[in-house]
Amino acid sequence: MPAIDKDTEQVRKLKIYEIWVHTAERHSGPATENEPDMHAITKILARHAGRKSADIGELLNVVPDYVMLTDRGAARAAAILAEMGGDRVHDPDRVVVVFDHHFPAIRVRDAESQRATRAWIEEQGITRFHPGEGIGHVIFPEKGYAFPGALIFGTDSHTVTNGALGCFSTGLGHTDVGSFLAIGYNWLRVPEAIRFDLHGRLRPGVTAKDIVLHILQQHGEDGANYCTVEFAGPAIAGLCMDERLVLCNMVVDFGAKAGYIQPDEVTARYLEGRVDRALWQVETTDSDADYTGIIDIDLSRIEPLVAVPHNLSVVRPAADLGAVRINEAVLGTCTGGRIEDFRIAGSILKGRSLAPGVRMMVNPGSRAVMHQAIAEGWIDILMAAGASIGVTGCGPCSGCHQGMLGSGEAAITTSSRNFQGRMGSPEAGIYIASPATVAASAVAGRIVSPI
Amino acid sequence: MRILGRSWVFGRNVNTDLIFPKTWFRAAYEPGEMASHLMSGIDEGFAARVRPGDIIVADANFGCGSSREEAAAAMREAGIGAVVAPSFGRLFTRNCINMGVPVVTCPDIHLRVSEGDTLEIDLEAGTLRNRDSSFAATIPQIAAEALALIRDGGLRPYTRRLLEERRRQRDGTGDVA
Repeated sequence: MPAIDKDTEQVRKLKIYEIWVHTAERHSGPATENEPDMHAITKILARHAGRKSADIGELLNVVPDYVMLTDRGAARAAAILAEMGGDRVHDPDRVVVVFDHHFPAIRVRDAESQRATRAWIEEQGITRFHPGEGIGHVIFPEKGYAFPGALIFGTDSHTVTNGALGCFSTGLGHTDVGSFLAIGYNWLRVPEAIRFDLHGRLRPGVTAKDIVLHILQQHGEDGANYCTVEFAGPAIAGLCMDERLVLCNMVVDFGAKAGYIQPDEVTARYLEGRVDRALWQVETTDSDADYTGIIDIDLSRIEPLVAVPHNLSVVRPAADLGAVRINEAVLGTCTGGRIEDFRIAGSILKGRSLAPGVRMMVNPGSRAVMHQAIAEGWIDILMAAGASIGVTGCGPCSGCHQGMLGSGEAAITTSSRNFQGRMGSPEAGIYIASPATVAASAVAGRIVSPI
Repeated sequence: MRILGRSWVFGRNVNTDLIFPKTWFRAAYEPGEMASHLMSGIDEGFAARVRPGDIIVADANFGCGSSREEAAAAMREAGIGAVVAPSFGRLFTRNCINMGVPVVTCPDIHLRVSEGDTLEIDLEAGTLRNRDSSFAATIPQIAAEALALIRDGGLRPYTRRLLEERRRQRDGTGDVA
């Protein structure tokens, strides 16, 4: 973990480069002697800008702790860095490169691109490099890159996943990241916050994925546009870290800039042995901090849900979709490829077989998940059921690895996006569901509720 | 900054997978290559019909989904004058600003514009007018700094300038770190 004092000092001296179009709520009031009531996220952003406080709507230049570059992100950002006249990465210790989307390469052009990126990593002195060890959003928490109070950027929209650890984490474009590589900081607008208060108990067979699908159903794909989404309420304590990561993973799919869960004992237990305790900085939200919205969700009322093609906000009860026959089931991805997902799906598939005509692609989210799934017997169970076990990586979610769909085919998947053509033919249908619903449907050959 | 252009109208929740399908991802792009695939996930022939200066109009949440910068970069390359919608995906908004493509928020715009209508937008004045109907609206003022960035062509020229400044400072002090 690199020290940031020197750099934040440098950034403070730079003119804040304010850029934002939607400035209606931009703070323009007089400076007060008292610090404003801030959300924990605002405090994290302020600290990474070398400031004590910040206001919602304000633009800051922030120095991230880590920036994650995927295989394609690294290739593009390196090219853009060169186009902008940069020959050296400003701070290679803050750069983490993962090969997850197209690794191992199935096309010559990906192999060539990865060869070039490996040379670039070597040349730039980047040491945090994880080819084929798993999906960036799965290995970031696992390897201790995400921790309370951290600020993380990544060349992928699901970088928001890390917020489950109590940090600020979001996706950026390649030019943004190329610019970071060149100059060492990025502009960022301090976002408003929306809070979902979770209470009640999930019924057996209902998972965090169903909570997210419920939010999409109620609030749409732009329900939290530009905002931080915080998950709070008494039911949070009962959700394990893998389930929390699912919640934060999909906040981007209803428009959010970041997800956030206040660190607690579950967080502390998860981080033990992964991150030096001295690095965490748990921020807390001030009691008078403003929320754009506070929304109650009674978990006991949520049933297994499915987002149907080709839109995430068209969400229906799994129990109502019995007429939909499926050709493929997918277990994996940054949304549904962690050990808890294997436990949920594996316990349903134990001693059973895929329905005739159904194939199942399994891509463990990381090497650690694969090891654990083998140790706990889930890989055997899945193979015995007839599933194909693939490499640790993004899998068929965005059509990167094996498991593409042909025209007229339908897949039910633990991934997060059902956009037309994303997993192959534009004439195929993608149904987004929990690992429990995916496993139960794989056995039935059509979409069924796991309860 | 005044923009005058012919409009194309799209629906709600048009995600970046549709604006720039993954099939066309490359590590490096030839000039014009990204523009040639613009909107191809939703309309194969669009790139051939669109002209520099044209304006894209859409329903809410335009550009949601994946962070792929090509969605904004292809618009820049195709010379899209502006993108106007009631709301946008956050990463797409950011990428447009960084690419120098004006993103204009205007409630109900998709109901007020028919394909082919000519729109007139004044970013400084914060006005939008449909020349083919009586519709006129006030649009949220774009921050002066954002306008400057858009006018200057986005984040790349900014970064280039900053790198040059740092180099000059470094050379001036003889500091080679």
